[in-house]
Amino acid sequence: MTVDRWLSRIPLESPSVLVKLVPTLVGFAIALGLSLIPGVVSAHITAFIVGAVAVMIGALLLAVLVPWPRIDVHWSVAVPLIAMLSIGLMRIGTGGSTSSIGVILLLPFVWIATEEGRRNIIIAALGIFLVLIGPIVVAGTPSSPADVIRAFFSPVIYAIVAAVVNEIAHRSRAQLKATRAAAAQREELLEQAVRTQDELVLNEARLKTANRLIQSIWNAVTEQSVIGTDLDGVIDVWNPGAEKMLGLTEKQVLGANRKVIEFHLVSELEQRLRDMDARFTTVSGMDDFSALVDTVRAGYADVRDWTYVRADGKQVPVQVAATPRLDENGHRVGFIFVATDMTQAREFARLKDEFVGLISHELRTPLSSILGYLELMRDDDEAPLSQEQLQYLGVAERNAHRLLRLVGDLLFTAQVESGRFPIDITDAELRSVVGASVESATPVAATAGVELVCDVPDETVEVRGDTVRLGQAVDNLVSNALKFTPSGGRVTVSLRREGDEAVVAVTDTGIGIPAVELSQLSQRFFRASTATRNAVPGVGLGLTITKAIVTAHGGRLDIASEEGVGTSISLRLPTETPRPVAEAVPAEARP
Amino acid sequence: MSAAKRVVIADDDADIRALMVIAANRAGVEIASAVDNGRAALDAVTEGGIDLVVLDISMPGLNGVEVADAIRGDAAIKDTLILMVSASVQLLTDHGVVADRSDSFIIKPFSPRVLSERIRSMLGLGEPA
Repeated sequence: MTVDRWLSRIPLESPSVLVKLVPTLVGFAIALGLSLIPGVVSAHITAFIVGAVAVMIGALLLAVLVPWPRIDVHWSVAVPLIAMLSIGLMRIGTGGSTSSIGVILLLPFVWIATEEGRRNIIIAALGIFLVLIGPIVVAGTPSSPADVIRAFFSPVIYAIVAAVVNEIAHRSRAQLKATRAAAAQREELLEQAVRTQDELVLNEARLKTANRLIQSIWNAVTEQSVIGTDLDGVIDVWNPGAEKMLGLTEKQVLGANRKVIEFHLVSELEQRLRDMDARFTTVSGMDDFSALVDTVRAGYADVRDWTYVRADGKQVPVQVAATPRLDENGHRVGFIFVATDMTQAREFARLKDEFVGLISHELRTPLSSILGYLELMRDDDEAPLSQEQLQYLGVAERNAHRLLRLVGDLLFTAQVESGRFPIDITDAELRSVVGASVESATPVAATAGVELVCDVPDETVEVRGDTVRLGQAVDNLVSNALKFTPSGGRVTVSLRREGDEAVVAVTDTGIGIPAVELSQLSQRFFRASTATRNAVPGVGLGLTITKAIVTAHGGRLDIASEEGVGTSISLRLPTETPRPVAEAVPAEARP
Repeated sequence: MSAAKRVVIADDDADIRALMVIAANRAGVEIASAVDNGRAALDAVTEGGIDLVVLDISMPGLNGVEVADAIRGDAAIKDTLILMVSASVQLLTDHGVVADRSDSFIIKPFSPRVLSERIRSMLGLGEPA
């Protein structure tokens, strides 16, 4: 076991020059020992033996001292060649051709023969030839003709042996190389497999984490129902929110061929189909499911108010966002319906409407008495008022009307917020709208010492709109301009057509608005710092209302201002038929 | 000369009720009754001989809409003219509640002169002497 362990430590796969020399050294040492025993060798010429030892030591030193790994490996055959020279000298010193120690020549010979390269066959044979010819050269004459024949014939045989050994060694090396390559490849594959397995384990862990997250989110969505269907509306996704909202468990719905339209009010689906038909956007052969997904099929997300019908028959007002469901290639494979229960929102809107109605009623009722009785006093022919009393009465009436306008503005703003305010779309001629606003503002402008200029074209400018509301919008702009323009200034109200837009611009030379505040102007109750600084009266609703009116007409409001220079506000309306934004109510029912 | 047109006035606010009475008097009609709730207004109309009822919508007990429904549902008095009044714009504009039930309506605050003219117009009376 100890010898095996010792041998196992020898690097035989790529042995060093020293290791390769060890067998020759051992053989040489044995031969040297035998030469000292009388009668074993036929002669004993000390000079050659000492020379042989010296040359072998030289070979050993060469093997040890030369840094072979850094030198071309082919040069290492110099060591066995020198060893052969040493053995040749030993052979001469121990009897020449009759010496029995020539057999150890095989050790360096095999070494040379096994080295890579065909030339080593020649080198090995040449070494043998030199060793065999050595005694004849030293003696000056062969001891027998057989010596000469042996000196020339043996190297040939050795060359054949060297060729065989060289080929075997070459093939062994090639096989070893292939084996090593295969092993390396196997090792690489193994490492790759290990890496892949690690990645798989990691990905599996990530997938599990993602699944847990999705599951947590899925379970957390309890206030919105999420329903997934195939292209025909058959439900295959049903979240806890849907369970809660519609009163059926996932188990009761999935796999039972339930369709999403079963949870809708039939009347609403039919109404939607009628509306779609009216818009000529539908295709033939539509079913009720098309009412839900027609917009999504056209490539758009659809958010719409519907009424769900629970399993127990109760109805739930919902807002449903319908979107396409896509596969990994982006093809539509179904639909997703995310519904939000609007019961509370509707109740809140109803309470808000009630509140607005109540406030409106409670503020208007006392104003009715104030204005009514003031009018009675003014119109009392039996006891006419003095000029001074009429003046006082005028102040009271003006302020009562101011309060009334404020109440009206508040109510209007609330109606805008709730998405519905009175609007009656007809053909509206804007020259008369602008003219009326300028005419009614002229007395105010005169009192304020502001020049009021009306610049309207000769031809008519018509839009589809509510004349009264548009007049209210222009009134607001003119009123604001007059309030913010100091005495001696000018307010210009112009009307023009720009492409497919009608533009009413109100430009003043007033105190202006800081640039940073322009974007906030149409917010409720916002007042420009220049307005508060100059104590200009107002509550900050005029522009909010004006913008709402313009928006309801499909138009927009452009504001440009420079502090200390003036302000220009343009009201831009499409001359094409606008899409009504606000719900229309009877025009005669306006406040 | 024909008999004076008889009018019932109903509003729960005493000041406004008084203002309506003044406006109605100036229109030259006879005030059959001026009451502060819907029930009393309906009773007054039901007694008969009423040409027009000025009806506030927001009143205790029966509101103006309920009174109007009761009048329209009673064959004997269904032709009584109804002029609805309210300070709530929404009540007057929502769902045709007022348009379906009344012959005319007016929004508070109102001008006594306008109310007077409206009453005369509804009753087919000419300009006051």
